[in-house]
Amino acid sequence: MFRFTYERPTTIADACAILAASSGKAKVIAGGTDLIIGLRDEDKKVAHVEKVVDITHIAALKYIKTDGEVIRVGALVTHDEIFNSPILKSSVPFFTEATNTVGSPQIRHRGTIGGSICNASPAADPVPPLIALDAEVTLISAKGKRIMKLADIYDRPYKPTIGTDELLTEVSFKVPAGAKTAFVKLGRRKALAIARMNVAVLAVKKAGIVEDIRIVPGSVLPKTMRVEAAEALLIGKQATQETIAQAARKVAEVMLEMSGVRWSTPYKEPVIEALTRRALAQALEVE
Amino acid sequence: MPLMGKKKFNVINQAKKRVDAADKVTGRAKYAGDVVFQDMLIAGCLHGHRAHAKVAKIDTSKAKALDGVHAVLTAADILKPQSWADYYYITDHVKYIGDVVAIVAAETKEILEDALKAIEVEYEDMPGVFTVDEALQADAPQIREKGVGLVDGIPTKGTKGNIFFESYYALRKGNIAEGFAQCDVVIEKEYRTQFVEHAYIEPEAVIAISDPFDGLMTVHASSQNPYFTRRYVADALGITMNKARIVQRTLGGSFGGKEELVGLIAGRAAILAKATGRPVRLVVSREESMIESPKRHPFKFNYKIGATKAGQILALEGILVDNSGAYNNQTQFLNCRAMIHSAGPYNIPNIKTDTYGVFTNNVHSGAFRGYSSPQVIFAGEQLIEELAEALNMDIVELKRKNILRYGDLTATSQRLSQETIFADMMEDVIAKTDYQAKFAANAVQTGEIRKGVGLVTCYRGAGLGAETADAGGSLVTALEDGSFIINSGITENGQGLKTAYTQIAAEAMGIKFEDINLMGIDTHSVADSGMTVASRGTVMAAQSMKKAGASMKKLLLETARMLLSATSLEEVDMIDSVAFVIGQPERSISVAAINNCRLWTGKQLSVYEWNEPKELLMNHHTGQGNAFPTYAYGVCVAEVEVDTATGYVDVKKVTSAHDLGTVINPDTVKGQIYGGIAMGMGFATTEEIEVSQGKVGNHNFDSYIFPTSMDMPEMDAILYECEDPEGTYGAKSVGEPATEAVGAAIALAIANATGKRIKRLPADLERVLLGKSLRAGGDA
Repeated sequence: MFRFTYERPTTIADACAILAASSGKAKVIAGGTDLIIGLRDEDKKVAHVEKVVDITHIAALKYIKTDGEVIRVGALVTHDEIFNSPILKSSVPFFTEATNTVGSPQIRHRGTIGGSICNASPAADPVPPLIALDAEVTLISAKGKRIMKLADIYDRPYKPTIGTDELLTEVSFKVPAGAKTAFVKLGRRKALAIARMNVAVLAVKKAGIVEDIRIVPGSVLPKTMRVEAAEALLIGKQATQETIAQAARKVAEVMLEMSGVRWSTPYKEPVIEALTRRALAQALEVE
Repeated sequence: MPLMGKKKFNVINQAKKRVDAADKVTGRAKYAGDVVFQDMLIAGCLHGHRAHAKVAKIDTSKAKALDGVHAVLTAADILKPQSWADYYYITDHVKYIGDVVAIVAAETKEILEDALKAIEVEYEDMPGVFTVDEALQADAPQIREKGVGLVDGIPTKGTKGNIFFESYYALRKGNIAEGFAQCDVVIEKEYRTQFVEHAYIEPEAVIAISDPFDGLMTVHASSQNPYFTRRYVADALGITMNKARIVQRTLGGSFGGKEELVGLIAGRAAILAKATGRPVRLVVSREESMIESPKRHPFKFNYKIGATKAGQILALEGILVDNSGAYNNQTQFLNCRAMIHSAGPYNIPNIKTDTYGVFTNNVHSGAFRGYSSPQVIFAGEQLIEELAEALNMDIVELKRKNILRYGDLTATSQRLSQETIFADMMEDVIAKTDYQAKFAANAVQTGEIRKGVGLVTCYRGAGLGAETADAGGSLVTALEDGSFIINSGITENGQGLKTAYTQIAAEAMGIKFEDINLMGIDTHSVADSGMTVASRGTVMAAQSMKKAGASMKKLLLETARMLLSATSLEEVDMIDSVAFVIGQPERSISVAAINNCRLWTGKQLSVYEWNEPKELLMNHHTGQGNAFPTYAYGVCVAEVEVDTATGYVDVKKVTSAHDLGTVINPDTVKGQIYGGIAMGMGFATTEEIEVSQGKVGNHNFDSYIFPTSMDMPEMDAILYECEDPEGTYGAKSVGEPATEAVGAAIALAIANATGKRIKRLPADLERVLLGKSLRAGGDA
């Protein structure tokens, strides 16, 4: 196991000061459900970590609130708290369902939304719904604050474009009026399963016509993102089995274009199509 | 049907609460890793992490120079690098990734880690052999000196190759050529299985302490078979066995696995305790356990089977080859059982099978609940269903025509002379599960989610049988307050043995269950009764406990007779710790008074009884003869839903029916059955140690996928009883029968759902959807 020093600030400012003074060798820990495993396995990704900054005692990072049309979720909110939030359950059920498929009860009680976003695993379950919501994240450092589109902090797996001196404090999003959502996950078992693939869909339909559609597959693209080429096949169209099938097929094609043919492609290609089809049918309420 | 419930006993045949339940659920139970001694050092092992390599140079000087490091030992530093059981304590020739090249003892875990990293090793890599197919190639490198080759398909001494000669078993019954000549339909099929991890929650742990008070090297161990562990400790130190003492601590699961690696680390810890003069604790990490502990043997099966148009099976031929890994001390026993059961539970007049293991540069295979049977039943039951398809005959009809019945001859030509309720069980389970209607309906489904149902019929020789002597001894001691201590060489491994033995002793003596205490195993307290394996603890070894209990009862009743002034015409008996004159219950006396009287009048207070197994004669060249004292029959129906768009198999229900003979404790039997279903399900659907060029791809439970509680299906355990005098109070085995049929039943259910047969386990997402695995491993 890698060895490290440990600090436990109680304010955002103190945390940022510690990060700023650590010249890139500090790593923030919240639930620790990913970081501790990396440290124990002596994973190269965390080989540079000399200091662990525990933010779990920063009370200001623990909230779920509405702010006009915007829903704001503090970085320290756990998967379990998201799943049990009445606001989130009624407005973004695919997000709460996704957090409820993370790991096990123990992991969902420790793991936080901020940690899940910053770990940047391509298989993270809560991330595709957030990207479908066009969510934004707030990043604070000793130098100031910046707000980014969540989709824009992802470039390569496990390497979000977050500065080593920055602390992710919040994720926020607006829910389009009349939105229906779906989250479909395929794992190798029913609990403690890392997503083999997952898909989040958000849809707004008026009089049978698709007005807004967002399709975000997980674990299939180099980075988690909306597949606009597939969305374009549905916008302004009737949601039918045929149009859904075309859009689902497109997601598989985009995967091939972006990721190329890999060892897993013969499996992933038909299956991501099927999973997308199911998620679209559920969100668009097509039998 | 003879469901449980018609037998009459005082203590057995009842759901007594497990004697160790409270300790386990409250956390009071202490496992080997919890044991602490003053001045204890922490020990660890440096693994080679190479499939096949010579150690060209090993430099331990930097490690030794670290503060707090007390010993760094290599193969050159110890008395006997190779253990009595083939595996090495420490080696300079790495034959698989788990081989150990150095051991260290240090003050703390952190110093230990630093020391292991400071050891500098240079390796010369050597060519390796990994799969069964590679091992059998004529030009394959020979990786063990004792390996032999094939001559005309038969492993033959004096030839070069990778076959483990002692693991070869032939079965020859009837005339195979004449048998096939009379068949209308003959099919040939190949099936394969994978390396599987036991995945016990507690990794292996030992603590060795040399106490000048008693002059012993004592090792507290997470050992399934403490008497085997003792052999390792005496062997490693070069001391006599009466100077090596093993205390078995509460075991956090074993399933056959806590044998070789526990023995090796007990030896290593003892070597380090001797070298440093300090107590030494060695607790294996999960990652280390995954590479150095034994695995379920992967098998490659090549079968040929033939039948008449009317469905009478006349001939079966098979080659069963298992992957033993780099070292082995199990395949030579395991393959005996595999051979005996290689033709399934069917009445087939002509059989020829050859079973042998091969050495490869892989993790080693060992004992694992079933001891070959889950693999053999998976292949055999697929084969029989494929035969039914080729005959265009209903599988139930085919089974009815061929299933073993009372008076039939088994594959080893043993006549089934005890009550045989097998066919009745099959009919009962078929009716209860509505198997035939479901099977037919499933064949004509449409839609993405398809239902499937699979039926397995199987049988299992009870105990060790002709494999090795199935003996046991038990000790019963009376105390003056009316309590009793019992013990035997058989261990509590989580299966409920302490509870079962307490019930059996209570039944035999007429003593209350609550008045008896079974402490557990200290090898200096009682003799070796053989290993606690083969589902033999209750069925075979406990016969000595019944005998000892009966002998003790006789002594107690002699004193009771005197104290109650019973005349020679009056009979006395004991129930619930009270002795009384039969017919005059008011003339009674407590066992406390009896024991107290015996103590102060100088009468015998302790009884030791031994049970010798009945003689079983088998011909080693033909595999013909009496293989087991009796057989336990099993019928299993699995119901699944397969997502044909993703390959996901959702196991919905498993009905697991067993012939228990006499149920000693219905709750612990059901516990075995439910746990066996979980284990069988993992074997069938997700579990595989992924090996590639000898490397293991999954080192922990994040990537080694076994079912969680969320995955468990609805489970229906059906308990049958019958009259069979061979086992203790007529009991039959259940520990291994509980799991052996489940994987095969799920595989059959998948074929029923999808129309595509699973030829190689596990039936994971990729294999079900594409018919092949995409993982790097390939076939073991």
